[in-house]
Amino acid sequence: MTRLALSIVVSLLSIQPALAHKLKVFATIEGEAVTGYAFFIGGGRAQGAKWNAVEGDDTPLGEGRTDAEGRFILVPPQPVTADIRVTIDTEEGHIASATLPVTRFGGVAAEPSEAETPTVAKKEAAPASEETALLVEAAVQRQVEPLLERIEAMDSRLRYTDMMSGLFLIAGLAGMVLWALGRKDGGR
Amino acid sequence: MAHIPDGILSAPVLIGGAVIAAGGVAMALRRLEDRMVPRAAILSAAFFAGSLIAVPVGPSSVHLLFTGLMGVMLGLMAFPAVLVALLLQTVLFGFGGLTTLGVNTVNIALPGVLLGLALGPAIRAASPGRAAMLAAVCGALSVAGTGALVALSLWLSSPVFVPVAKIMLITYLPLALGEAAVTAAAVGFLSRVQPAALRLVAT
Repeated sequence: MTRLALSIVVSLLSIQPALAHKLKVFATIEGEAVTGYAFFIGGGRAQGAKWNAVEGDDTPLGEGRTDAEGRFILVPPQPVTADIRVTIDTEEGHIASATLPVTRFGGVAAEPSEAETPTVAKKEAAPASEETALLVEAAVQRQVEPLLERIEAMDSRLRYTDMMSGLFLIAGLAGMVLWALGRKDGGR
Repeated sequence: MAHIPDGILSAPVLIGGAVIAAGGVAMALRRLEDRMVPRAAILSAAFFAGSLIAVPVGPSSVHLLFTGLMGVMLGLMAFPAVLVALLLQTVLFGFGGLTTLGVNTVNIALPGVLLGLALGPAIRAASPGRAAMLAAVCGALSVAGTGALVALSLWLSSPVFVPVAKIMLITYLPLALGEAAVTAAAVGFLSRVQPAALRLVAT
């Protein structure tokens, strides 16, 4: 019996805290395209899963299946006027979605320069600065993307302390129930 | 898979699930015996930890449920055992959701409880080898039952999210086989070493 208990403890200790079971969607913007992938927290990517994207509440943008790395890509029609939500459905009960707020599409593309009161000088300078802004945005996006991915993964990581506290909460609850039962009928 | 998140199921399904789960828990607690408490806690802890070890399978990832074993060893007490573990998984790890707690409890616990009621007496009376075989059937069928209930709850809520039978089969079949092996090993061992651990009522 002690050996059994010991082996249970050892196998529990060898569980990688990262291993888990929940579908998440990571979505980001690359140029004009929306790309991303579906992953199980610590447990691989969702391959060949159905995805669909909607703009705002119900304007469908496209659908398809994720590739061998769980990736999807779609190019929304410009300009984007509402949040884009990508939903991934593995068709056996796992569903998750990610929303890209419309402000992230804002960038320079959606800022029509002619909407501002144009002066001659500004109009001349506009194309150059617009190009620079686009370049800067692309560069920043490239730098920031790994961080976003990292944050998403860390956000949903399982923590060893959480797991242990769960187990001990169950033990504590059992103790409380036993105490209550013992009080009720003076123990059996 | 068995942990349906918030915001997908419709209100009638959520309420129906919560009512059935509450009924199951109430029935279990009314005839609670203190010798069942540690057993329920151990299996609840096993389910809690077991769900954290997931294996990727194609578009999905699966993990053991231990519900067949719970049905045989706990009977109705499987309801509170699953409920407690699911609650902790939701609060600590964000699996499933608080609103779907009732539905998820029913989806996971009910098949095991029913199979435990149906096959339990035969398992307790049988020789260790036969008991292990029956337990394997119990484990595999309870996984299949959970899959069917998950599909049913999704289908009742929205036709958009209906699980596809082929994919269900690909993901649930290996799980049912694994579950059968684990349940058979546990029940076979107990029926050889400590048959009293399989009985629900003290004799």
